[in-house]
Amino acid sequence: MAKRKAAFYSMTIPALLLFFAFHTFPTLQGIFYSFTNWDGYSDGYDFVGFKNFAALFQDENVLNAYLFTFKYAIVVTILINVISLLIALGLNARIKFRNFFRGVYFLPNVLGVLIVGYIFNYIFANAIPKLGEMLGSETLAINILGSEQWAWIGIVIVAVWQGIAFNTILYLAGLQTIPRDLYEASDIDGAGKWQTFWSITFPMLAAFFTINMVLAMKNSLMVFDQIVALTGGGPGRATQSIAMLIYQGGFQGGEFAYQSANAVIYFIVIVVISVFQLKFLQKREMDA
Amino acid sequence: MKKTISFMLVSLLFVMALAGCGGGTKDTNSEPAASGGGDSKPAGEKVKLEFFQNKPEAKASFDELVKKFNEANPNITITQVNPPDAETVLKTRVAKKDVPDIIGLGATDTYAQLAKSGLFEDLSGNSLKDNIQPAYLNMLNKLTGSETVYGIPFTANASGVIYNKKMFDELGLTIPKTWDELLATAQKVKDAGKTAFYLTVKDSWTTMVPFNSLSTDILGIDFYAERAGGKVKFDSPEFREVAEKQLKLLDYGEKDLYGKGYNDGNTAFAKGESAMYLQGVWAIPEILKANPDAELGVFPFPATNDEARNKVISGVDTLLAISKNTKHPEEAKKFIEFLLQPENVQAFIDEQKAFSAVKGVNQSDAIVQGFNGAFESGAIEDFSDHYIPGAVKADTIIQGFLQKKDIDAYVKQFDKEWDKVAARK
Amino acid sequence: MTKKRSTNWFITILITLGSLLILFPLYMTVSIALKNPEEMAESIFSLPTGLHFDNFTRAIEATDFFSAFKNSVVITVIAVCFILLTNSLVSYAVARNMNHKFFKGLYFYFISAMFIPFQIIMLPVVKLTTDLHMNNIPGLIILYIVYGLAFNIFVYVGYIRSIPIELEEAATVDGASTYGTFWRIIFPLLAPINATVAILSCLSTWNDFMLPLIILSKPESYTLPLVQYVFQGQFSTDYNLAFASYLLALAPMVIVYLVAQKWIINGITQGAVKS
Repeated sequence: MAKRKAAFYSMTIPALLLFFAFHTFPTLQGIFYSFTNWDGYSDGYDFVGFKNFAALFQDENVLNAYLFTFKYAIVVTILINVISLLIALGLNARIKFRNFFRGVYFLPNVLGVLIVGYIFNYIFANAIPKLGEMLGSETLAINILGSEQWAWIGIVIVAVWQGIAFNTILYLAGLQTIPRDLYEASDIDGAGKWQTFWSITFPMLAAFFTINMVLAMKNSLMVFDQIVALTGGGPGRATQSIAMLIYQGGFQGGEFAYQSANAVIYFIVIVVISVFQLKFLQKREMDA
Repeated sequence: MKKTISFMLVSLLFVMALAGCGGGTKDTNSEPAASGGGDSKPAGEKVKLEFFQNKPEAKASFDELVKKFNEANPNITITQVNPPDAETVLKTRVAKKDVPDIIGLGATDTYAQLAKSGLFEDLSGNSLKDNIQPAYLNMLNKLTGSETVYGIPFTANASGVIYNKKMFDELGLTIPKTWDELLATAQKVKDAGKTAFYLTVKDSWTTMVPFNSLSTDILGIDFYAERAGGKVKFDSPEFREVAEKQLKLLDYGEKDLYGKGYNDGNTAFAKGESAMYLQGVWAIPEILKANPDAELGVFPFPATNDEARNKVISGVDTLLAISKNTKHPEEAKKFIEFLLQPENVQAFIDEQKAFSAVKGVNQSDAIVQGFNGAFESGAIEDFSDHYIPGAVKADTIIQGFLQKKDIDAYVKQFDKEWDKVAARK
Repeated sequence: MTKKRSTNWFITILITLGSLLILFPLYMTVSIALKNPEEMAESIFSLPTGLHFDNFTRAIEATDFFSAFKNSVVITVIAVCFILLTNSLVSYAVARNMNHKFFKGLYFYFISAMFIPFQIIMLPVVKLTTDLHMNNIPGLIILYIVYGLAFNIFVYVGYIRSIPIELEEAATVDGASTYGTFWRIIFPLLAPINATVAILSCLSTWNDFMLPLIILSKPESYTLPLVQYVFQGQFSTDYNLAFASYLLALAPMVIVYLVAQKWIINGITQGAVKS
């Protein structure tokens, strides 16, 4: 038995050491720098205590990035989950060419986010305005990514277009775990479609709903690649996400320590939201 | 059938992986030689040096010069590295103490920061600088705030207005010398149902081009040093004039000016979609690529009604510096010496439509003749944004302002961001 | 109960319309990649009239496509193989000792890393990898294997715990070592979840852009997404060239997907249901 334990330790300890060296140690370094004034390239730095953290809370740009990121993440999470659930229900219905359509809807998931961003960048800049001209629509004839008010919608569209693929497949998997006889029983009871959905389908999908919500939320809170490809954070700071602000300020602006402090706060926020989501949704799962 | 295909695919992948592995090992073997560059080596062995430069437009031109140098110096091998987002990459590499041997960089805030951190070799006593126009050496000194020479200016750029000669002829327009004339010219173009300026606000950096002209001409280049010293504020009548004129330009832009970027602008202007284009000479090769027959000319941006104050904005486009940590400073200097030879500078500026920082080498391209007068009379001044700390993100502030059009908020934001960044130091 | 219900045409039509929205950007990509500027000037939506494959030859030349393709394949294949072999082993040790403080702690330690924003470790990692001479392809592969643990352990542990422990106990009685038990009994049983992990790590490694961007410093080791980023500036206004290059970068994964579509979707479905 001791030999068995030793084997288990030998399986995990190298992984633990590597993980510590390449992940935890850099994280600690990052936290360490957040208490300094290091710019990222100079030789020396001083300790400044909590100065960076205090400054963060008075920085409008930081507030702006958090507001944008939350607005974006909430909208994307809701849209992705609603749309992919609808598509999954559609794919699970009696339709023609089901496997073909399932394949089509999953396709965006295998494409690189950056390249998809570049393709949509062209579509927003050229294809949609051309379409707008043809239709004589003033609103469509402008590049949505250039508008301070609407640029974020463009990023939402790209994220949703790509994000629904994975969640649809998960919901579809969930739908297929629901035994047919449940529906048949409900049919006999004379329940309507809507009623069936709320009383059978949705509760049975609760676990999938939880995992999809958490995944979609976490991914959209960390949004970066799409913004690099679409707007670079502009116009002005209209689409500057937290990840983007940390990258731009920390690496291009030479305020590495300050943005490290921002990253620490960002980390705490993500953890709090994820824990809260899990607790809340799992509680609901139980109730249902 | 399907199985056969997937089997073939898997085998193909596997073979490629193996082939790749072979290649990969080779790579790692050659690595120490390439990156070490300075390991003590027996006499007669090749010296390998890395030349890092930040202009994607100039990659091909530098490639040719590097090739020529390598052929003439069999014991030295220079490798050019030109990554995207080069300034960020350079900063990360500095952070990991992996500074390239020779660095080609614009005279920007990044250069100033790196020079001040003592990364570059002191070239003050070196003969390399003797043949350089003093104006550009002074520009660098002003930027770093010291008399020490850390970088040798190689080429200069110039920005102002690029115009469509054919369209100017058709509409009977002359070159405007003052701000009022500029607006009158733009109005005539507009009345003719055409676009005066093709503005590319979607790419924030392009908004800096007219800003630099307006700011440098109206406020003077010392404004930013005074701002750093706390003697002036952005919230001042002079800076408000800059802001008002920035907004005025928007009246003469194309319809979806917020949705267009630099590439769109180059193509559209090349195809005659506007009479004028507010850009620097670096855009000219790109415009000609989109339409080789475009008839182009340039003139200084007339930011004020006082002709004498309207300067061509010109800065050091590429300066050459040597890392303090290089193991082969002599060979690195030899490469810089080679680049500075008049024939090589000439070949480079002819392709790039840039101007020479080396005495006696002139830009004779017909397109940029419009700037020659200013260069001869010395009516040139540096880019304002070279004196604005990068963390202020002037381009972002300006891009936001051009959307919101709120001058009060704009000047206050500039002051606030500036103070915030200064406080963090 | 036995009545056969006919096809629901209303939903079929809705699903068709939806799939057009998914396919439209891809149609644009393919058609622009095949057109020339004159055709673009006429209409950007129409089908290409001739097939301009020279866009592809130019893109291959401009971006050194085959070198980037080779790098991406090498990185993805090696990383995925090692992820499967190592991450499952670690997960096995953890899953079988969840009642033990050390292993339970380890489980949460790895999983919590999922929530750490990459930006916080970015610069320290760059420094570290340079100091260890790991700013190259082998270094990148090691990082993928190590970072994969955070998510994969979550997937594997859930699955392994559903495998009855009696199977191993029998083997242990027969005198098999713990490693032997894992490789001979457990690992083969992991096939469905291995498929899930392989697909997900393959996609994320192949499409990753941030880590190659900051780790790889030599152009000859650039990956496909990185090359698209690098040449974004050089494509400038040549949309046909740019799109041909995008298509080349997307194509390998799309081809793999088309061939192994059923397997890939089943793999992900299985993983979702089982864990």
